[in-house]
Amino acid sequence: MIQETALGLEILRDVARISNSTLNLNEILAQTIDIIKNKLHIDACSIYLIETENEESHLKLKASSGMPEGAASNIYLKPGKGVTGWVAQNKKTLALSDALQDPRFVYFPEIEEERFQSMLSVPMLYQDKCVGVINVHTLDMRFFSPSEIAVLETLSGQITGCIRNALEFQRSQLLLKEQTLLYDISLAVQGTMKMDHQLWILLTGITLGGAGGFNRALLFLTDDPSQALQGYMGLGPDSSEEAGHIWSELRHKKGDVLHWILAESDRNEYQQSAFNNLAQSLTIPLKPGTHVLAEAALLKRPFLINHPHDHPLVPREFAELLGSSSFAVVPLVPHQETLGVLLVDNRYNDAPITDNNMALLTRLATHIGWVIENSRLFNKLLKSNQELLSTKEQLIQSEKLAAMGELAAEVAHEIKNPMVSIGGFTRRLRDQLSQLSQNPNLLGLLESPIQYSGIIISEVERLERLLHNILQLSQAGQLEPEEVKINELVLEVIASLQVGIQERNIEIKLDLPGDKEVLPIDRSKIKQVMINILCNAMESMPHGGLLQISSLPYVYINDREMLGLCFEDSGGGIPQETFENIFNPFFTTKKTGTGLGLSISRKIVESHGGALRLKNNLNQGVTVYLYLPLQNFANYNKN
Amino acid sequence: MTKILVVDDEDNIRLLYKEELQDEGYEVSLAANADEAFKAIEADVPDLITLDIKMPGMNGIDFLRKLKEDKKDIPVIMCSAYGTYKQDFQVWASEAYVVKSADLRELKTTIKQILDA
Repeated sequence: MIQETALGLEILRDVARISNSTLNLNEILAQTIDIIKNKLHIDACSIYLIETENEESHLKLKASSGMPEGAASNIYLKPGKGVTGWVAQNKKTLALSDALQDPRFVYFPEIEEERFQSMLSVPMLYQDKCVGVINVHTLDMRFFSPSEIAVLETLSGQITGCIRNALEFQRSQLLLKEQTLLYDISLAVQGTMKMDHQLWILLTGITLGGAGGFNRALLFLTDDPSQALQGYMGLGPDSSEEAGHIWSELRHKKGDVLHWILAESDRNEYQQSAFNNLAQSLTIPLKPGTHVLAEAALLKRPFLINHPHDHPLVPREFAELLGSSSFAVVPLVPHQETLGVLLVDNRYNDAPITDNNMALLTRLATHIGWVIENSRLFNKLLKSNQELLSTKEQLIQSEKLAAMGELAAEVAHEIKNPMVSIGGFTRRLRDQLSQLSQNPNLLGLLESPIQYSGIIISEVERLERLLHNILQLSQAGQLEPEEVKINELVLEVIASLQVGIQERNIEIKLDLPGDKEVLPIDRSKIKQVMINILCNAMESMPHGGLLQISSLPYVYINDREMLGLCFEDSGGGIPQETFENIFNPFFTTKKTGTGLGLSISRKIVESHGGALRLKNNLNQGVTVYLYLPLQNFANYNKN
Repeated sequence: MTKILVVDDEDNIRLLYKEELQDEGYEVSLAANADEAFKAIEADVPDLITLDIKMPGMNGIDFLRKLKEDKKDIPVIMCSAYGTYKQDFQVWASEAYVVKSADLRELKTTIKQILDA
């Protein structure tokens, strides 16, 4: 009795030494086995721990002594199965002197159990839950005494606490590693503004080994217009050789592996990889019940697929394309909207995807979602900023026109009267000089004065034209619409310019179907626009050319149905610098032009609710598109 | 001889119109504002009036309205530096609207057409 008590105390002392010396699970288990073997004088000893994976529990042989080396790694037992399983399930000690004859016995050839006659199996209980089983075996038949059983049960109780501590420590170490990785990834992502670079960093983190450690990662983004998931980026080795090479390199690296990878590897290299090309060739329609990727995106939940070939949501060709025995899919949902999905697998080392892996993956997926969302928002901001700028420019343009209109009306009257006097009296002067010059004695004397007064007259005419145009600019908004057959108007304009057209030897080609087309327009103003367009075209072809006038199929501009007229000349186009200024009031390239023609024309067309657009084909010609709304513009607000 | 009254606040315009219209064979009298014009009409009723719109004091449009209330039968040609007033229905009471120009041919043609009608 004293002997047994002394043994019990010795064991307690040794266990206390273990619990104070290490937090490494394998060391704890190995030292425990040693204690049992030495103190209880048995032939073999093994410790099983319960592991839970994907909500399924099993007993895994973690350490043994007196059994074949290396046999332990693949022994899994379901609770209830075999003697060990029975003990785990019933949480009761079992002492068998003739174990092989027990109906609960299951034979594992790997550990040569048939050599052992008797066994004692003790559950490891923590808070009334079984966390593992300790087995001892003897080669000879042995009847375990109640005190031996009590000693092993005591030891089991003590060592369970140590193991729990070690497991907790392991878990927190893993969490710390994950947190560090997440932190490192966030830091790296913050270092760049480019979405592709950020995504590359994130996928690198996922496929890095350690806490993430997937072999491959494949990113799909939601494509709104086509209602599909489009493969965007694939990261991972193309073959198991490449994978092996990468891992052996990684094993030799110490410290911050992520930074090493980000610094060492060429981030554009992945673009040439076969896996990335495969990723980008994939399009998966977002239809419910057809594909696990679509399902993950639509239901916004992750999927872990363990046997892709047998899974109803994995099309056979997709399973073959991936070639992995299991894969996981997580949706990218930064807010309410699914932006895409992330697929990961372990094709090359076939490692199981654990609950821990899934948890980390979900966290990284959230990060990826934010990156994409940020980038989208940024682009949206950029776009609306550009729109704002262009609206501002338009505003400046229209303000310029309006201010000029008001000023013009004020000034015109003041300028016009003196001009009428100057021009009018000069005409009288010229007429009188001409009369005097009938006298041959005076002719030589009066020739120059007559020429000079002619110059004054023509310059005043030019000024009068300018004033006329300015005043029209300020009045372009006042329309008098009527129903006009548009094709007839085109012919009328051509007829009025016939002389100039013939003089320049210009050929006109007409393609104007729908000759009964009636539009509600201000006839004289649109006529003026057409004359302006045609005059410009004629001036660009002083030595002949081709002018094609065609009507366009109905087009929608600003949600209104329009009839388009297209005037295409072969005058060689205009230099880009000139083209950019072409709608600016007072801009002209002509010696005698006022520069108001096109800006007035545009104002007239826009006040009809239409649009005037120019296409400059350098070295070919200019094409003018005149769009006029088909419906009445009575409600059109010219402001 | 046909008598034309030119109403305009600009001295040079009045002189120009006078000389040009005299050359055409008309008898021309002048008024620099609405008051002078009414006095001239009182003294001798013209066959036609050319009327500026923008004048100090009573403007051309008000003058036209007052004139048409009393002496409806004198034809009036509105002469303005620009066409803006064409949209004003009040000027529709006149016989014609001519935008002022150094080239007086349009004015002369219009006068002739109205007098011949």
